[in-house]
Amino acid sequence: MLGLLGQQGSDFAHKVDYAHDVVTILSVICTVAIVGVMLYFAVIYRQRDGQDHETPRIEGNNTLEIIWTVFPTLVCIWVAWLGYDSFVALRTPPANAMEINVTGRKWAWDFTYKNGKKTTGELVVPVDEPVKLVMTAKDVLHSFFVPVMRTKADVIPGRYTYEWFRPIQTGDFQVFCTEYCGNEHSRMLARLKVLPKAEFERWLADDSEARKLASLKPSDRGKELYVSKQCVTCHSLDGSPRVGPSWLKLFGKEGKLADGSAYKADENYIRESILQPQYKVVQGYPAMGMPSYQGQLSDDDITGIIEFIKTIDGSQKVEVAPALPKKSAASTAGMTPAERGKALVNDSGNLCATCHSIDGSAMVGPSFKGLYGRKEKLTDGSEVTVDDAYIKESIYKPMAKIVQGYGPVMPAMYEGKLSEQDVADITEYLKTLK
Amino acid sequence: MSAHASAAVTEELNYLNWQKGIWSWLTSTDHKRICFLYLYAILFFFLAGGVAALLVRTELAFAGPQIITDPHTYNVLFTMHGVFMIFLFVVPGIPATLGNFLIPLMIGAKDVAFPRLNLFSWYVYMIGAAIGAVAMFNPIDTGWTFYAPYSTTTGTSVSLMVFAAFVLGFSSILTGLNFIVTIHQLRAPGMTWMRLPVFVWASYATAVIQTVATPVVGMTLLLIIAERWFGAGIFDPSKGGDPVLMEHLFWFYSHPVVYIMVLPAFGVVGEIIPVFSRKPLFGYKMVVVSSMAIAAVGFIVWAHHMFVAGISDFSAKFFSIVTFLVAIPTAIKVFNWVSTMYKGSISFKTPMLYAMAFVFLFMVAGTTGIYLAMLGVDVYYHDTYFVVAHFHYTIQGGAVIGLIAALHYWFPKMTGKMYNETVSKFAFAALFIGFNLTFIPQFMLGMNGMPRRYYDYPAEYQTLHTISTLGAYLNGFGYSFALVNLLWTALFGKVKAPRNPYNSHSLEWQTQSPPIHENFAEIPVVTEEPYNYGTPTGRGH
Repeated sequence: MLGLLGQQGSDFAHKVDYAHDVVTILSVICTVAIVGVMLYFAVIYRQRDGQDHETPRIEGNNTLEIIWTVFPTLVCIWVAWLGYDSFVALRTPPANAMEINVTGRKWAWDFTYKNGKKTTGELVVPVDEPVKLVMTAKDVLHSFFVPVMRTKADVIPGRYTYEWFRPIQTGDFQVFCTEYCGNEHSRMLARLKVLPKAEFERWLADDSEARKLASLKPSDRGKELYVSKQCVTCHSLDGSPRVGPSWLKLFGKEGKLADGSAYKADENYIRESILQPQYKVVQGYPAMGMPSYQGQLSDDDITGIIEFIKTIDGSQKVEVAPALPKKSAASTAGMTPAERGKALVNDSGNLCATCHSIDGSAMVGPSFKGLYGRKEKLTDGSEVTVDDAYIKESIYKPMAKIVQGYGPVMPAMYEGKLSEQDVADITEYLKTLK
Repeated sequence: MSAHASAAVTEELNYLNWQKGIWSWLTSTDHKRICFLYLYAILFFFLAGGVAALLVRTELAFAGPQIITDPHTYNVLFTMHGVFMIFLFVVPGIPATLGNFLIPLMIGAKDVAFPRLNLFSWYVYMIGAAIGAVAMFNPIDTGWTFYAPYSTTTGTSVSLMVFAAFVLGFSSILTGLNFIVTIHQLRAPGMTWMRLPVFVWASYATAVIQTVATPVVGMTLLLIIAERWFGAGIFDPSKGGDPVLMEHLFWFYSHPVVYIMVLPAFGVVGEIIPVFSRKPLFGYKMVVVSSMAIAAVGFIVWAHHMFVAGISDFSAKFFSIVTFLVAIPTAIKVFNWVSTMYKGSISFKTPMLYAMAFVFLFMVAGTTGIYLAMLGVDVYYHDTYFVVAHFHYTIQGGAVIGLIAALHYWFPKMTGKMYNETVSKFAFAALFIGFNLTFIPQFMLGMNGMPRRYYDYPAEYQTLHTISTLGAYLNGFGYSFALVNLLWTALFGKVKAPRNPYNSHSLEWQTQSPPIHENFAEIPVVTEEPYNYGTPTGRGH
């Protein structure tokens, strides 16, 4: 009705929103009435010309007292019932709900499915099916909050709590940690992906990557992640300069940070640089050049990457297989250009979403939201309107025209990877992001 | 007494000038001087907590790091804000300052029942504050709620800070006891219970909560220290302990403490509105009964802070229903205040503006509290900015506005001087607009799901955060202006206050301004109700 809480993602969200609407309308009426009466009295009974006038000695009125005790009591009973009713829905998962185990830890969310599939920072569920999250914490209190589903529960070490929902639409939604848990509390986020049922089943069955990773020794696991998590885009293995420092002979290296202090690339330094890359940036590299991997890598993943870096000591040449193209042409057939563009942007092989948001938030690069047609100031002071030609140039030759406030960090890797048709489709997609 | 009076030659003797020198203040057992000892101390922490709040708001003005480059510093700052404001400013707030000043004057007594204990309470408070200051060398990052196991495992000086809060609790208990005995034993002849001003009733209810609830938090804080020092395992699940137990114990005190903060402010509003309306307080008995009801019900609603904390669904339902019981006496109070203005002869001096603002702010605080009492809705709002906004409407819009209103209203009695109405009204306007501008956007942030205690946030929340920060600056300016105005007037003001500038009927205005050391030259005999304004035949305007 009023829609104050935004999009409704679960089948019980309308119950919560209804209760919220009722109490909102009652609150506004009561506040306006009380304050209105007060101001009305203030105006008509004000002293005129600073002169006191005679007033009646009214000490109370029992009838009124009874009315304004009984009436709020009745309203409270009704409102309490609405809260109660929606709460019962929130706390009653159907018996056939699919269970997913959730573990909160400083500062990431791990999800384990019944078939053993594990993810970090990304909860994938099917639409229209009830999902029950069985949750516990490793260290301190956390809280799992999915605003669009209207549900939340604290996640507690040493015991299990639960919450459930039945998604009513597909999409990509925000998950917050809402119990204060220390330094990276505000980055302890996750994404909730609601997929069509068939797509979810395919995703769930495809545990080849996870199985493969789990079977590898740590340094090989790191090597796989180097490619699949796109570290390769910015960090070379042969000493050649890219956006970030090369990993060749990186482990144990000493040098200076942007603020002039010294660093030594040991295990803890590398871990921090993966999780909070903005804190200790090596001199000569862009300040906001790397996105945080907080919440996206498990501890084993991070250890694997560190072990992999240790192997790149120059004693032998390390080579990696290039990332495989993920999408076949067939899967985009029948799509409109804008839909195809969206698929390309979201394709993890292309990595656009790592640095460009679609919701207006500034990440490493400018947000795609409202980008098309916008006037941007460039680092050389000139101004440019974002049109088809500018987008094409920025994709193929990212260093040519850089928007003020952003670093020269976008890899020049798309020429040859994306066709002219791809770029045109991406442009169509950007036009839809107003 | 009479010896001092006869010694007056050029200047009338009063409690401010009958003894001189800093030592005479630090050793004074005069409740009115102790009011000022507290007042300067709490206002110092109000300033410190306010600066921390403004730093937090500045950081949050825009998405991404602004002035604070690491989240730890941010976490320390919001914790400082909470700990200073709650334990060192608002809890002692009205009771220790105006409660001290007014209770003996209002009941016609020479002092509180135990004047030396009263001074001792202040020293206990200062010791607690000093321990808290030492803890600032490695400032804590737990939030003012000290939730375990974060508080039992973080490397900051939690033990020292919770010990400070433990000591401060003693000060609170001693003050509460002192007031209870004073109100029972020292009422002037004719001052029956039903002739007590509502401020005294509110202070009485507050004192009961202070004495009963504070020991529980003291115990809890000691358990945190036991956990940290000896690994006692009370809250640590790996040793069979329970972190949720800590939350129960904490809120068993910290919910009633909200009424410690706000009940005295109800009392203040109940004093101001009749005087400036020239009408008796409407439904005096119901106002008194509702104060006591709030104090009583306040003890059994604590777990409404824990609907999503892993308590059983049954207890969530129980605590939701009893929480609604608080709404009813609170609503009754508001109706009675507004009805008092009916057919009045209303003048808009600064205290009256604050009192009317209080009614509006408290309506917002109360109605948004209903959302949080509703189970299904609270699940959504718990630990979001909606709660932050609601809490500030209650505590700042309630307790702090009540304190500022009281400082203006009783200022002539406390200092013997009149403040400048124009300047005060200007400060009021800045403070009122700034306050709403700060917290209305925070309600909207909460509706959009923005969690609290976040160092950084997704960009979609930025506009509301920017507005909130601007509001906070205006709010801070308003408070500074209002308080500096009062301080300046107290020190350098020239306009002498008469004995009873508002033509009030209550006892504190019947003695000179400022009062003599022992309040009354002769103990008064009370013959009428405290709000006998108007005439039986008066018709109103």
